[in-house]
Amino acid sequence: MKAREFWILFFPSLLVMGALLVLPLVRTVQWSLEQVRYGTPGTFVGFDNFAAALTDVRFGKAVMFTVAVTVVTTVILLVFGYIVANGINRITTSRPLVLGIMLVSYVLPNLVGAVAYSWLFDDNFGGVVNRLIGFFGGTQVLWFTDQVPNAILVTANTVWHMLPFAMLIILAGLQGVPEELKEAARIDGANTFQTHLNVIIPTIRGVLGFVTLITIMDVLRMFDNLIPLSPQAQAIGNESIMMYVYSVAFADGAQQLGLGSAINVLTIILILIMLIPFIRGIFKEAKAER
Amino acid sequence: MKHRILPVLALAAVGAVALSSCGAGTRTENENATTVSCDYTAPEGSTTVNVLAYNSSAIDPFTDTMVSSCSTDSVTLKHDPIDFGGQVTKTTATLAGDTGTYDIIETYGFVIPGFAEEGKLVPLNDLYDKYAADYGLDEISESMREGMSYDGELYALPMQAQMYVMAYRTDVFDDLGLEVPTTFDEMISAAEEIKQAGVMDYPIALPWLATSDVTTSYQAAMNSLGTDFVTADGAVTLDTPEAKQALEAMVALTPYMDPQVTTFDQPKVQQQMFNGTAAMSIMFSGRMVDLTMESNSKLFDSIGFAPAPKVTAGAEYSYNRLSIDGWSIPFNTKLDHDMLFVMMASAVSEDASEASVPAAYPAREGMVTEENSPYGAAANESMATAMPPIVSPIQATVTNEIRPILVQVLGGNISVDEGLAQMQAASERVAG
Repeated sequence: MKAREFWILFFPSLLVMGALLVLPLVRTVQWSLEQVRYGTPGTFVGFDNFAAALTDVRFGKAVMFTVAVTVVTTVILLVFGYIVANGINRITTSRPLVLGIMLVSYVLPNLVGAVAYSWLFDDNFGGVVNRLIGFFGGTQVLWFTDQVPNAILVTANTVWHMLPFAMLIILAGLQGVPEELKEAARIDGANTFQTHLNVIIPTIRGVLGFVTLITIMDVLRMFDNLIPLSPQAQAIGNESIMMYVYSVAFADGAQQLGLGSAINVLTIILILIMLIPFIRGIFKEAKAER
Repeated sequence: MKHRILPVLALAAVGAVALSSCGAGTRTENENATTVSCDYTAPEGSTTVNVLAYNSSAIDPFTDTMVSSCSTDSVTLKHDPIDFGGQVTKTTATLAGDTGTYDIIETYGFVIPGFAEEGKLVPLNDLYDKYAADYGLDEISESMREGMSYDGELYALPMQAQMYVMAYRTDVFDDLGLEVPTTFDEMISAAEEIKQAGVMDYPIALPWLATSDVTTSYQAAMNSLGTDFVTADGAVTLDTPEAKQALEAMVALTPYMDPQVTTFDQPKVQQQMFNGTAAMSIMFSGRMVDLTMESNSKLFDSIGFAPAPKVTAGAEYSYNRLSIDGWSIPFNTKLDHDMLFVMMASAVSEDASEASVPAAYPAREGMVTEENSPYGAAANESMATAMPPIVSPIQATVTNEIRPILVQVLGGNISVDEGLAQMQAASERVAG
């Protein structure tokens, strides 16, 4: 299309993105180099905030926990998302019903879903899971005060919340796999497993990459579901990076907006590092198109 | 035709839902609120007064009275539901700059010294003297007014007070022939007997939430022994024998409480009483009336109330915190202070205070008795045995610093001595 046409169509988006993305980003970087309290302009402190964050053991623990949950969640989402998408791909008449039921957990606000999810593990509110464990003869699990059970709980909730999204995207990708390709594989004598591994998955490589990208970006920012699921996150070492920012910047009347901004900048850098393979892939593809 | 009706109906439905959420005024219905006279000079034109106050059955009566009594055609009082944590965050934000979002804010004794020291609240002595006669403000307990003063100046108009009250299962105690405990040791023996009888695994429930309530409990234990985290001069006293004794007393209770007790806020402790999983609990008095409601639990008529126990038999005071809630005027409001003070005074008037019983314990003298409140006798006795508060602007900061360390001690991850040393060091660092 002509350059003028391009700019007329693109300009509104550019304006919105500038106001809502670029300006806050600039401000965040600015504040990360200052000590800032509400309502007063900041005082320049150089890299002090970054030094404070990087030498804080609590920040290191938060990064480890967040990255661990992100990696585990992404793997589970890819595997299960793929399996479920294939399953749904086969059904026709009841597909809308199944999709509708599955999407409930994704459409529900994160916090609401997490509160309801926490009740399954809380003896105060019935504790269905605890009763099941007791029924099968297991010992009492302290889901909220032991680190590993709590991490499992948080990961399980994150998977529960995001699986429908992953499944939906992969399902869309599967629609684009040509029937002839699968037939050809069958004729060549490939069994189901080999067909999936060598034919279908390579074909939907781009879609799987996209799911991985979005999952990493979303789970690295996790916060909402930790509030009901991990009421003493800091004490057991299950704090996420965003939870840590909230605690130092706002909670309990704290006002360390500069430190919070510095941690946000570090988080952006972390996300970029984790997404390098995908960003490189996008650039390569764009180059190939040209 | 048919195709157009559906989208139109959908749009209308969405529009109706959206519009219904508009509108000023608090959204909580309240049978403990009433309408009183609220006589102020309204400014020209239409005005909105923004009120910040958290929702709880003890605060709502006063907020709702204020909103319903003081709103006129030209003056609208706006109050949105919010929880306590949200109020803390919004208070910090609104008091930070030269312009704020709220005109009347709910404050409590614990934060008054800090805010007063920083000049964030309007001193109320002059306004008090001006309107005391009209609104009967001298009947507000003098000690409570003291509790909301700093350096001789009143900074908040007290509306109600909360103190620790013990709630226990009368049926369990009667069945096992147990006496109501008056010390921590007696609580432990009663819990031991209840456990032996197989009635409950964890008979004691206390609000020990790792991100807030747990430090209030430690402070109450230290108050029972006559000390606090800091002295009035700002010296940190967590290296004293009393600090150790209080901490050890808390640790001694842990075998009789749910292993996940550090995730319990007061509503969770209430839930333990509702479910019958605990036989004894100690919480602020504002949480007591819920335990007597049939709509909350089948055990509503088996709950008895007793004054807060002491940490040891020889302790001077009870394991108790007196928390006074009141109304303050933020320094950065643009509205007329006289008008705001009249609104606050009307909310704590005699009629309003009477109507709030038994949900709240009003600051006015002699309002709560054994007859008009199921926990009245226990509350009065508790109040009489609470330690007079030690006022210091650094208390809130010290409390936040020691909280994570306290949680590690109670979780058994570090020893009492190690915990005390860490808490003392951390507090001295911020005390400066």
